[in-house]
Amino acid sequence: MAIMMPASDQAVLARRAEIVAALRAIVPGEGVIDTPAEMRAYESDGLTAYRQPPMVVVLPDTTEQISLVLKYCAAHGIKVVPRGSGTSLSGGALPLEDGVLLGLGKFKRIREIDFDNRVVVTEPGVTNLAISQAVAHAGFYYAPDPSSQIACSIGGNVAENSGGVHCLKYGMTTNNVLGCEIVLMSGEILRIGGKSAENAGYDLMGVITGSEGLLGVITEITVRILQKPETARALMVGFAEVEAAGECVARIIGAGIIPGGMEMMDKPAIHAAEAFVHAGYPLDVEALLIIELDGPKIEVDELISRVEAIANGCGSTTCQISSSEAERNLFWAGRKAAFPAVGRISPDYLCMDGTIPRGALPKALARIRELSEKYQLGCANVFHAGDGNLHPLILYDANKPGEIERAEAFGADILRACVEFGGVLTGEHGVGIEKRDLMPDMFTEIDLNQQQRLKCAFDSQGLLNPGKVFPTLHRCAELGRMHVHAGKLAFPDIPRF
Amino acid sequence: MDTLRVRDAKDVEEVVRAAIANEQPLEIIGHGSKRSIGHAMVTNAVLDVSALNAVTSYEPNELIVTLQAGAPLADVLSLIDAKNQQFAFEPVNTAPLLGTSVSGTIGGMIASGLAGPRRIRAGGARDHLLGAHAVSGFGDSFKTGGKVVKNVTGYDLCKLLAGSWGTLSVMTEVTLKVMPKPEAERTLLLRGLDDAAANKAMTAALGSPFDVSAAAHLPKSAFRARTEGLGDIAGQGEALTVLRLEGIIASASHRAGSLRELLAPFGTAVVIGDAASSALWATIRDVLPFAASAALGAWPVWRIVCPPASGAALGTQLARETGGDIIYDWGGGLIWAALPRKGDAHAPAVRQRTNAFGGHATLIRADEDVRREVDVFHPQAPGVAALSERVRTSFDPKSILNRGRLTRSARA
Repeated sequence: MAIMMPASDQAVLARRAEIVAALRAIVPGEGVIDTPAEMRAYESDGLTAYRQPPMVVVLPDTTEQISLVLKYCAAHGIKVVPRGSGTSLSGGALPLEDGVLLGLGKFKRIREIDFDNRVVVTEPGVTNLAISQAVAHAGFYYAPDPSSQIACSIGGNVAENSGGVHCLKYGMTTNNVLGCEIVLMSGEILRIGGKSAENAGYDLMGVITGSEGLLGVITEITVRILQKPETARALMVGFAEVEAAGECVARIIGAGIIPGGMEMMDKPAIHAAEAFVHAGYPLDVEALLIIELDGPKIEVDELISRVEAIANGCGSTTCQISSSEAERNLFWAGRKAAFPAVGRISPDYLCMDGTIPRGALPKALARIRELSEKYQLGCANVFHAGDGNLHPLILYDANKPGEIERAEAFGADILRACVEFGGVLTGEHGVGIEKRDLMPDMFTEIDLNQQQRLKCAFDSQGLLNPGKVFPTLHRCAELGRMHVHAGKLAFPDIPRF
Repeated sequence: MDTLRVRDAKDVEEVVRAAIANEQPLEIIGHGSKRSIGHAMVTNAVLDVSALNAVTSYEPNELIVTLQAGAPLADVLSLIDAKNQQFAFEPVNTAPLLGTSVSGTIGGMIASGLAGPRRIRAGGARDHLLGAHAVSGFGDSFKTGGKVVKNVTGYDLCKLLAGSWGTLSVMTEVTLKVMPKPEAERTLLLRGLDDAAANKAMTAALGSPFDVSAAAHLPKSAFRARTEGLGDIAGQGEALTVLRLEGIIASASHRAGSLRELLAPFGTAVVIGDAASSALWATIRDVLPFAASAALGAWPVWRIVCPPASGAALGTQLARETGGDIIYDWGGGLIWAALPRKGDAHAPAVRQRTNAFGGHATLIRADEDVRREVDVFHPQAPGVAALSERVRTSFDPKSILNRGRLTRSARA
């Protein structure tokens, strides 16, 4: 394992039996799992290159139990790692050897559907897709749609601020969540926000969203639901050059059109996807765009023809327009299966997740090609083109000595390039452990210290999900110290009025 | 009073560091257009960022603009309007309501986070702030977020800065999302509905697939004052329920027709188009019926946010109890209440009723002596208040920035 996790607390490990017994007193029966065989299911999340069995797994049924578990752990200095469905692609739910793994899997009830206020109140273990299914009969849905939506939990979505192909138009999780019930590491249960459009006071919901399980354990969430658009149609457009595809994306946005989704695949990704799902993708193009317009039929039809004209103007070599739901779904089938499709052509792959300004796309793809040469590893690119979110898939073989290290170095270089081009390290997968050590490439120590001070406001002992997000952990007392700068001759040359 | 006009982020750092050393709190202002919102600050030293007014970069094709915090809002709106773009959250121009001559800066727009009618569809200032450079109460410049729309790298401190009323950090530069302006807008007008029926009509519209971008209700009393922007629409002085559709022309017209049919049980809607429609929504956005220069200009004004379907129940109760005037926006989820003058601005009634419906109320306009007696911002549950205070301290442990603005108890 290339990533160093915080040193295990031997004193905690020595008291394991006592801790397990104390947790059993809080969560009786099968809610506490401590045998190595049963705990194996929890040793990894979606970032499977990293594995670590936890000290013990706890699966509480109630908020009160979570509160008691956290209170007990806080009192005894025991680390806690929260986990939803375990689909994190950045290692956000990777257990700690000396930590309690707190699984939210039993919180799978939708508590309230309120069509008049257009919200659903749900427990965190409910899957993303289940929320949409629960309101589909009335024409509603929950907009953010990460590709793991069948499996990923809404609690995990809040922790990671998950996106999806439709977030260009409909926003990420943070734009679709109104409130939550959260349990702090101290065991304190708080309610933040609710069914109103805005919270009172500081926007705590906003900062809890995307905090990767480091600030608290979410036990209830209120999400916004929307009416499903009347219709959706997609265009599948091929280009002989990546630059032309990038130009097409820029012109669509420049024309004031915000598609429901706008995805790009490069040649290796197109070939892998086509071989897997036979979606009818053109194989002689360098880049393929899938552009979906949604809304009223009259609007979609008009925008489809405008987008088609823009694509022609950018020198598209092929352009197909879906004429049925079946055809639209077929266009998407290849894109949605891109990750497993790449999994078929390579024994292993690493999925990266940087974001760049849209205009930097040709530059970024050129850099990825150079790096692919340098590291002698293949790379297939899928790309949320509308919002600049790149997913390079680095192909490697874990059984060949040195390949995983080379793949990781390749990935790190791609993310550094994203920052260099004015972008960021992660668009939707989270920092977790995967990008943790790259944080100083984007943030100064002062930036990171300010973030960690916020962490201290929620979890002063640093017991909740330590080892994630931040490359270096500081004690809260140290972070809170004020360095008073000499202030004798204050700002002599600043204009006064 | 000592006013320090900073020229760059370095100046801001220097002033804040000196303030820390001298234990001298600072009031942070841009144009000072929203200075009367909140409690009087416990300081007489002013940090003025209005000279930090540059447009750092504007990239229409990337849908982002990066601005120094002191950039005048009006200038920035013209700049992006020239590229047919806008801030989709429709920032409120508080000048008419508060009776100031200026509409403020970008920094003030974010720090106050007051969003207009499209809040229900496009989100608020917090949803459009992508990144920021700021100086904390530690006297350190830090950045958060970035210059791209999709970003989950580190904690999203932008969310905290938006709506923090300058109590966490001094923003020096911000990156905001801009969106294309819709080609056309259509507004349906329904006349004569009472608040409860109007709330039902708005709920039906917002629950429809017609992508309604704004839904407001002006009860009959809102027309007591002759209000600019309403023009002929105010005509008969009947209550007015209004619903906006935006997009390409064919789509907006088509949906206006469909919505009209859907709302037939509530009456026969009249449809108005572009210029008349946008003037009407600017009137609602800026709460012009309660303008400082109008008939109710001396009345205190509350801004109440609540679950949208409860709006009418809450609003009618308040109007009945206080004899005040109400305007509903956000499909009932935002209530502007102008209440007759009283020493406590009817705070006990407002807070009690609002709490009962799970909302929160801010006293957006009131004389200073009223604000001395009444909490301007909604008191929170003890646990949340304590957490919020720890969050504030994590940015500004010595309470240097806008001390006393948010809570009366923080007064020295």
